[in-house]
Amino acid sequence: MAGLSRREFLTGSAAGLALAGCAPRRASGPVAGRERLVSILRQADYNQELYGALRRALAEHGLNVRGKRVLLKPNLVEFEPDSPINTHPLLVHAAVEAFRELGAEVRIGEGPGHRRNTLDMAEAAGYFSTIPQFEDIFTDLNLGQLAAVRLAHPHSRLQSIYLAQQAVSCDLLVSMPKMKTHHWVGATLSMKNLFGTVPGGVYGWPKNILHYAGIPECVADLYRALPRHFAIVDGIVGMEGNGPIQGTPKRAGVVVAGRDLAAVDASCCQIMSIDPRRIEYLKLAVGDVEALARSIHQIGEPVESVRTRFALMPEWDGIRLS
Amino acid sequence: MQPAVRQSAWVTSVAALLGPAALGGEAYRRGIHWIVGQSGEETNFLSRVRQFLTGNPPGEPGWPWMPGTTAWVTPTALSMLALHKAARYGGSAQILARLDMGASYLQAHACSDGGWNHGAGRVWDYDARSYPETTGVALLALTGRDSARIRKAYAWAQAQLPGCRASEAESWLRLGLLAHGQLPPNTAPPMRPPRTVQNAALALLASEAVAGRNALLE
Repeated sequence: MAGLSRREFLTGSAAGLALAGCAPRRASGPVAGRERLVSILRQADYNQELYGALRRALAEHGLNVRGKRVLLKPNLVEFEPDSPINTHPLLVHAAVEAFRELGAEVRIGEGPGHRRNTLDMAEAAGYFSTIPQFEDIFTDLNLGQLAAVRLAHPHSRLQSIYLAQQAVSCDLLVSMPKMKTHHWVGATLSMKNLFGTVPGGVYGWPKNILHYAGIPECVADLYRALPRHFAIVDGIVGMEGNGPIQGTPKRAGVVVAGRDLAAVDASCCQIMSIDPRRIEYLKLAVGDVEALARSIHQIGEPVESVRTRFALMPEWDGIRLS
Repeated sequence: MQPAVRQSAWVTSVAALLGPAALGGEAYRRGIHWIVGQSGEETNFLSRVRQFLTGNPPGEPGWPWMPGTTAWVTPTALSMLALHKAARYGGSAQILARLDMGASYLQAHACSDGGWNHGAGRVWDYDARSYPETTGVALLALTGRDSARIRKAYAWAQAQLPGCRASEAESWLRLGLLAHGQLPPNTAPPMRPPRTVQNAALALLASEAVAGRNALLE
């Protein structure tokens, strides 16, 4: 992208410094405490049990969000309510309720990558009918206020990027992706879901600048640029094959949650029978994925008991967990 | 305060649709000159190789959403609409040539099902599906042109109208089909309520066009 003006640069730098001051410390090696705690919840279907399960999972992670602004960022892709393409609205509603119970001010935001009709898609996906006053708490991140953010030590060739202001200024960004295979990066999970914080109003549909600058590189950059995050992955029914749009449903029967998106995504890969060491954006984001995997403390269901072999496109045979 | 975004092909094109009376002659001339000079990065060698490998034909240059990236269907169509208007104000041969290139770009980037999506008709070896909003705006930009490719899009666009689930999509479909005299009767008033100001404005433009005045083609 074109360079930022001095004023934009200073605005972005100030935002970055503010974020850095509040961010959890990120280390390249094992991290003590709950940062790499990953909850794996067995959940056979989208039903009322989700509400209690998610409340218990959040309690395990000891999140202190009372009085804080929490932005839930689901994955809305297409107008297909019967397809496993979008994050299920019941899971999003369960998260709304769970975070509200913890005292947070909860909003929902998404900036889809291909279709511009965000609210219409949300309606088709069942968000309006499932989540009371949905429109009052929803922001289209493609068209809302912007923040110019300078990328410190970027992996991509971007030095700075515009992001949705709400994603930058919230106290906790909760990435809520669908568990899917992806024809460009192998698997799309909580880190890749951050592409939805990049405004289409600036970069278009698709957000082609991210492709030009390198998809895995940009995933890793966004992971660092948005550090106050949490992940809740919808793996109850995911997508396999030619994801993230034209794949087929795959029931894994899990919800995966945790503070560190990389740790959550590595765990999801293991569940999907994908080798996390072969996912490029994970390598870029954390360096040593093996060390990351060793540092993860998984609770709930053991990976082996929920492992579900997601079909991969032939081009991605090389990432299969052996 | 909203930080400034430096350059955007689609915003410039939409602004240029206002014409010289609203923008001022010099600003309008510079805007059109800027649009004519823009093209997607697919015109460079590396991009052409990548598009060949991913099964997407490179074709003629279209317009990107923002400079420095690849051309896509919507910014190409919006730029063509701006240049259509410039041509009516006595456009140059360069403008007419860019309109021809844009038309070639759009026709080369159609989906196999008949319409257009954002601009990638194939991903790996798989056919991608069309979207109604992109099909509508592409048809509108191709006004005055005829080809088997364009005629194939009529059927897809007409089939989408009854089940359209977004006001924006429905408006573009109506505008696009109307521009080719292919809008089926009894499609007004709009079936979907617009959810944003932009979509409401577009729905009004579509309704005006159905009533006989298409401001986007004047």
